[in-house]
Amino acid sequence: MKLTVDRNLCDGNGVCMGIAPEVFDIDDDLTLHIVDEIPDDPAIHAQVRQSVTSCPVLALTLEE
Amino acid sequence: MAGNTSKTIVVAGGSLAGHTVVAELDRRGFTGEVVWVRGPEGVAPYSRPALSKELIQGKVTPDGIRLPAQEYGLRLRIADRAVCARLDPDADRVLVTRETEAGGESSDGEWIPFDALFVCTGMRARVPQGFAGLPGVHCLRTLADAERIKERLAGRPRTVVVGAGLIGSEMAASLRSCGLPVELVVQGRLPMEPVFGAELGRFCLDRHRAHGVTTRLLTTVTGLSADGPDGPAVLTFDDGGETTADLVVLGLGAVTACDWLDGSGLDLSDGLGCDEALRTARPNIFAAGDVANWRHPLFGRRMRVEHWSNASAQARHAVESWQAGQQGREPPAFADVPYFWSDQYGLKYQMVGHARDHDEVHVETAGAGGHPFVTYFRKGRVVAAAGVNAPRAVMRMKARIQSEGMTTEGAYAT
Repeated sequence: MKLTVDRNLCDGNGVCMGIAPEVFDIDDDLTLHIVDEIPDDPAIHAQVRQSVTSCPVLALTLEE
Repeated sequence: MAGNTSKTIVVAGGSLAGHTVVAELDRRGFTGEVVWVRGPEGVAPYSRPALSKELIQGKVTPDGIRLPAQEYGLRLRIADRAVCARLDPDADRVLVTRETEAGGESSDGEWIPFDALFVCTGMRARVPQGFAGLPGVHCLRTLADAERIKERLAGRPRTVVVGAGLIGSEMAASLRSCGLPVELVVQGRLPMEPVFGAELGRFCLDRHRAHGVTTRLLTTVTGLSADGPDGPAVLTFDDGGETTADLVVLGLGAVTACDWLDGSGLDLSDGLGCDEALRTARPNIFAAGDVANWRHPLFGRRMRVEHWSNASAQARHAVESWQAGQQGREPPAFADVPYFWSDQYGLKYQMVGHARDHDEVHVETAGAGGHPFVTYFRKGRVVAAAGVNAPRAVMRMKARIQSEGMTTEGAYAT
């Protein structure tokens, strides 16, 4: 699972962080951080996929 | 999903919830036919939150906010500029008619039988009678609304925003950020107070004023008229005041778009009534998004949630409920903690939970900006939290509300 964020698009809206808090973190400057290694857990993988399709500014891309 | 090939599912609504239902059916391997009735707008689904923010400010184009088109394995028939006009629940069929945004409806239509129906018809802007159709007067709900407003901005219009809820407050901020003179008419004491309460409402008011927005508090528009065919618009207020504007944006809320279900026997007392699993009284009819009124198991009360995250999460859940029914399983309850955000003057307001009927608030500061952070309690339990540029603090509260609610079923019940 390779997850990337387009920083020109990401607005720190926090939808991804709400869905998959173990993968996404947004600091108080509204900068998104993604964990280096996505945990090998089907439930978290499902959350990641959901985060990608739920991003309101389409900033996330996933390669599986 | 073997054995589904001959089935037909109708998805009513062409915004995020409808889009997500179609994608989720596909993801789960549904191989039958989906008839997606996308509504009057005649455009592919797009990200609605961007309208009042990035799109108005010219940071994105309409193409940049389109939801990604996908290749589907299911058989998809898209009906654009078409609406579900009537439901015949006894025969499991809907009447689909052509309709334009202008409201023109053709008399011909097609009855489409369904095995399952997903109602994702959302809401439409509330525009008081007599306020519609005047030059320079616009509501903001659709991409077309936003484009009409945007066309006017080049003329540097003097702007009045009526209503200071989420849309009104965001529009005032976005238009002011474009350098326009903006007057904000607030029906209550403070902007966004019904959503956020007094503390953040006061903070929001101060931000508007610091950025040069003129505010009228505790004021209701009693009349709106046009001074000539090209305007300007003339607004009169309940305190006897009057003002003129080249551009008026109405942010007076929205009404659920489920009148087409009148007479169907479904519960339409506020949106479309569902059980905890988003099933209506008809076992093969589901609702998702703004229109869905369901009993939230954590809060122990019925609610509708008119926000982005809810629309996509409920759409997935409604498909899960349908599939559970197909497989003879009991469908799970939809228990996501509501979440929304708002962008104003470069600040990110975020709120989680459900603050209605809270009986206590705790105000502190959080985040790098030292802005107010509000925790809302009901009977001693946290039911909601809101902050400004404090995503970590807000999301911690989301997790807390979710986990406390899960361990104590009905923890927040009245």
